[in-house]
Amino acid sequence: MHLPDGIVPVQMALAGYGGAGLLAAVALSRIKQMADPSAAIPRAAMLTTVFFAASLVAIPVPPASVHLVLAGLLGVMLGWFAVPAILVGLFLQAVLFGHGGLTTLGLNGLILGLPALLSFGIWQVGGTRWPDLAALCAGCGAVLAAVAIFAGLVLAGLPVALDPAAERAALQAFALAHIPLMLAEGVIVVAVLRVLRRAAPYLLSYG
Amino acid sequence: MHRLAACFGLVLTLGISAPMAAHSHAAVIEVETAQAIRLHARYDTGAPMAHAQVIIYAPDAPTEVWGQGVADRDGRFEFIPDAIAGAWAVQMRQAGHGVTTSVEIGGAAPASLARAPAQTWTQRALMVALVAWGALGTGLYIRARKGGSDASA
Repeated sequence: MHLPDGIVPVQMALAGYGGAGLLAAVALSRIKQMADPSAAIPRAAMLTTVFFAASLVAIPVPPASVHLVLAGLLGVMLGWFAVPAILVGLFLQAVLFGHGGLTTLGLNGLILGLPALLSFGIWQVGGTRWPDLAALCAGCGAVLAAVAIFAGLVLAGLPVALDPAAERAALQAFALAHIPLMLAEGVIVVAVLRVLRRAAPYLLSYG
Repeated sequence: MHRLAACFGLVLTLGISAPMAAHSHAAVIEVETAQAIRLHARYDTGAPMAHAQVIIYAPDAPTEVWGQGVADRDGRFEFIPDAIAGAWAVQMRQAGHGVTTSVEIGGAAPASLARAPAQTWTQRALMVALVAWGALGTGLYIRARKGGSDASA
């Protein structure tokens, strides 16, 4: 779920950089207000690596295939740290794998960063009382939100020369193909948080 | 006798005019050879970009759409460019995914397609390992330094 270079107009790509910059500034400001920000850096580094490598894991959903996003997991595990972690991961994916693009780095940061913060919010609200339900909603909700933002940006930046009906039909198929991924990521977040709650509850500082 | 002559005349008229009518609807084919560009778009998983939309930009007007079309079910698309030397930009896209490539056409040289070499899984695994090493190493270094400074304090 990465916008590649050349898909959206230059103005939209620049606006994406502006939005992602604002989001990163807010996130860093909130991180700075934490009691001990450096304590979370190793965890952020580890999950940045997991996020970076996750794009290589393709899940076949005939007739296409989708790849893991893990924005929900990062949101729940990292909180505000998820925003810089996702931006760094996206940059490395674009440079090393060609996933996404450098001109669309800001937009891709918004596509995945905002859903990660949504998951963080869901976990903060319901993580204590209904941990499994909150984890499921965080994992599923992040994919759902990312697909919605992605589709909205694609349609907003559609060139006049293209057939909008054909692109809308393709986006509908794209969204349907992500339903299994949505469920899979919900289950992943539930499973990871269950293991951590039993084995290393101190890692769930936001739970 | 007159009636027989009239019938003979009618048959003769039809016999002559029928081939003439058929000749007025004849098809004409003009044949010429041309250099076509054939593109094949796939996702990085190898799956074809079936029915992807195609936009073509000519070298002399890179901001104006020169032509457009739709790929077949295998993600293949062909077009015959005008005799304009330079880099023709072609974008194939579907559902927000796609790629823009350039086809160099000029002089007597054959068309050449600019494309990035595909990475092998070994290269990808090595890059993931290097990034993991760098990220975890940096994180652990910061934690160890913080632990040292706490101890010294």
